Amino acid sequence: MSLTSTVAVSKDRVSTESAPQAARMETFVYDDAIVRMFMWMTIVWVVVGTLAGLLVAIELALPEAGLGIPYIAFGRLRPLHTNAAIFAFAGNAIFTGIYYSLQRLCKARMFSDLLSRLHFWGWQLIIVAAALTLPTGHTSGKEYAELEWPIDIAIALVWVVFAVNVFGTIAVRRERHMYVAIWFYIATLVTVAMLHIFNSLALPAGALKSYSVYAGAQDAFMQWWYGHNAVAFFLTTPFLGLMYYFMPKAAERPVFSYRLSIIHFWSLVFMYIWAGPHHLHYTACPEWASTLGMLFSVMLWMPSWGGGINGLMTLRGAWHKVSYDPVLKFFVVGVTFYMMSTFEGPMMSVKSVNALSHYTDWTIAHVHGGALGWNGFISFGMIYWLAPRLFQTKLYSQKLANMHFWLGLVGILVYVVSMWTAGITQGLMWRGIDENGRLMWPDFIETVAHLIPYYWIRALGGALFIAGIVVMVYNMVRTWQTRPAKYEEPVYEAPPLMAARAVEALPPSRIRTPVVNIAHKYDRFAQAAWHRRWERLPLVFSVWVAVAVVVASLFEILPTFLIRSNVPTIASVTPYTPLELAGRDIYIAEGCYNCHSQMIRPLIAETKRFGEYSKPGESVYDHPFQWGSRRIGPDLAREGGRQSHLWHLLHFKNPREVNPKSVMPAYSWLLKETLDFGSIEAHVRVMKKLGVPYDKEIGQAEQLARAQAAEIARQIVEQGGEPGYDDKKVTALIAYLQRLGTDLYKTPPTPGEPSAPPATTQPVAMGNK
Amino acid sequence: MSQSAEPMLLDHNYDGIQEYDNPTPGWWWMLFHATVVFSIVYFLFFQFSPDSWTLKDAYNASVVVDLRKQFAEIGELKADEATIVKYSTDKKWLEVGRNTFATNCVSCHGRDGEGVVGPNMTDDAYKNVKTITDIATVITNGAANGAMPAWKNRLHPNEVVLTASYIASLRGKNLPSARPVEGDVIPPWPKGN
Repeated sequence: MSLTSTVAVSKDRVSTESAPQAARMETFVYDDAIVRMFMWMTIVWVVVGTLAGLLVAIELALPEAGLGIPYIAFGRLRPLHTNAAIFAFAGNAIFTGIYYSLQRLCKARMFSDLLSRLHFWGWQLIIVAAALTLPTGHTSGKEYAELEWPIDIAIALVWVVFAVNVFGTIAVRRERHMYVAIWFYIATLVTVAMLHIFNSLALPAGALKSYSVYAGAQDAFMQWWYGHNAVAFFLTTPFLGLMYYFMPKAAERPVFSYRLSIIHFWSLVFMYIWAGPHHLHYTACPEWASTLGMLFSVMLWMPSWGGGINGLMTLRGAWHKVSYDPVLKFFVVGVTFYMMSTFEGPMMSVKSVNALSHYTDWTIAHVHGGALGWNGFISFGMIYWLAPRLFQTKLYSQKLANMHFWLGLVGILVYVVSMWTAGITQGLMWRGIDENGRLMWPDFIETVAHLIPYYWIRALGGALFIAGIVVMVYNMVRTWQTRPAKYEEPVYEAPPLMAARAVEALPPSRIRTPVVNIAHKYDRFAQAAWHRRWERLPLVFSVWVAVAVVVASLFEILPTFLIRSNVPTIASVTPYTPLELAGRDIYIAEGCYNCHSQMIRPLIAETKRFGEYSKPGESVYDHPFQWGSRRIGPDLAREGGRQSHLWHLLHFKNPREVNPKSVMPAYSWLLKETLDFGSIEAHVRVMKKLGVPYDKEIGQAEQLARAQAAEIARQIVEQGGEPGYDDKKVTALIAYLQRLGTDLYKTPPTPGEPSAPPATTQPVAMGNK
Repeated sequence: MSQSAEPMLLDHNYDGIQEYDNPTPGWWWMLFHATVVFSIVYFLFFQFSPDSWTLKDAYNASVVVDLRKQFAEIGELKADEATIVKYSTDKKWLEVGRNTFATNCVSCHGRDGEGVVGPNMTDDAYKNVKTITDIATVITNGAANGAMPAWKNRLHPNEVVLTASYIASLRGKNLPSARPVEGDVIPPWPKGN
């Protein structure tokens, strides 16, 4: 390729601003106050989120650390930790970076100061609402989407405010084309709205109580379509946008490859959406969906690395700066962790690897490599870069910033390596079968007890990471103290955009050797002038983003809901009794799903340990599904009838009394608190609206529940327990646990062979009556 | 494609950020295409080829292999007196019973059968067992109003027999127990031949 032709084709063909009327200039001032507000809250929430994480980590190593306080029991605190880390810390970091960079990339102040403030205060109030409702047991029971319906509505509204503000700013921009960072912001705005709304669809059953409109396998599918893409469009695309702005800014080097950014942007946006079902390998989710989830994850490897390459290669010619600039240090390590996680992710989504890694701490290692390494370090680098600019002073101490970097890096490595070891160790122990076909670690608790040293090491890693954050807080406060009495507000000027009259001319083919015409056509296409055109048409661009994510979603969602054979019904599976339903509500409220799966996979070591593998037809009345994603405790899918009522009662009172090595919190409050029998009727009615075939229960849910509770309480006494549990919460929870997985055997299966297919009748579609 | 020493800068400038017109790295393209080709082949094979298998097929095959590993030598056992007595002294097969016990029973009966929530099985007193075959019956159907669950849907018949043999073998160890003596002292197990 000749040098001159490259220059020729890379020339921007839109030449409207260069016209003589450019003399008319507009002046504007950026709103940096809002950036400072978001940045302070990023700092506050990273402290809160990681401290909550440290506490839950210690509770696993030392169950007594929860002090028997319901509000900080593992099952309630862990969702608070994840929500605080994702939506409070990462969320505010994203908003900090977007509000700073968008104004400059658009040469325009934010569209509306009022919307900016509404967005800021709305989001912080949502976080406070989460911090109040999650510890008090108000949860929808879907991971990373735990917040109850009024808060869900608030999130949607605040997101719309944010979107209007961003698109408004883009509309009044003074820069013709949108830089790649803005593409990623648009993808985030569009897709997060879609994911949040469709996964959170639920029928309210009280002021802070609702049931997902989806059930069982379909709910699982929607949840992980959401869950995986929350990672994609909340923790990946916006941070790539931040990287594209702050990395070249800090390195003072041009971005490595414009073409690579186009290709990896569109392939990420289109492919990420499909990958969700890789969270459901070997489950009752249909196998074709799980296969697609795996394959699209494998294909995502290079699109993800495209971003990493563009980030790291931008440092070409600036590597010497990395040795002394803490900002670049954070960025380099952040991008490196991004590349490591996006290699590990596709690897873990391969079914045979997932058979080992699923339900173990390997997943925990994976997400923390991403969250601490990528989201954390990009955010910290950004904060150190922004602080002197926003506070209009010098950073108080480069030395402390470097110290933060090293504390954080060592912390992450200790964390991730200990959890890799724990995860692979436990995965291998679970599947260990000796030459005579017997489980090598038949007692589940042995596989847990083995991990305790790793849990302490993990807590140490987390503590180091937090120590680094504390150093940052100090550095930020000292920097802020040296700010000027009044911030300068520099006035910028730029010409307004005129309507673009010129159309991008098709670039000439760069091929000099004689070829067929189609090759020239392809080469012209590959030079992406068409994309350059989209970059100045935000509406067109956004529509194509929406088309990409919606089409990709529908390819999987439509068959999941419409193909009847996906979920063959089982005649003997019937709805929960009113008391069992109340018990299930307690199970959800206490966050039991954070430690217990309810999904036995068709793997020999697993069916030996827990019983026959779970069938899709068994969870058709589960609004929401409770398959879980981690097995800190044993699987509960066939818990019904495995232990006596009395055993459960004693176990809830103090698990270590019956199982000395158990790490489960004591749930003594469930033995004391009275069940609200009066609310059960309303809950049963909502379930009926969702299509659960309740009939005789309507109108007498409370009497039925009281009768069943009295019977269980009577049996507890017969089994040698104390009387008086007729109206306690624990009785409902026991009723629910004793029901789990038992319906499969209600019509007699083929005698003898335990793996014989159960009484399966003709497939019927459910959920979308 | 030849790489010049300094790549071409595009005339893009956003708040001072410029972009190079570097081509995407060749290895990147190759790996990307390789993953796409792999995915297409994988999908077509596993969705449409008669030679493919599902996860359930693989599981069913592993169940057969596992049963053969475990029970090929002994065939299907009957839960009668002679069989339970016979295996209660057979070191090798007692291991299967111990294994099943460790998987399912220790949460109530203790790691060594000493009793926690359920009774001690290392002494001579039994609650629901009069003869050695009663052990298998209790495992199969449960007892004491559900305090002892029924295991018939969860265990292979051979596992029931071998677990019964293992439990029978615990008798006489008289381990210290948190439980009081429960039930009645029953006659010793019959002797094997």
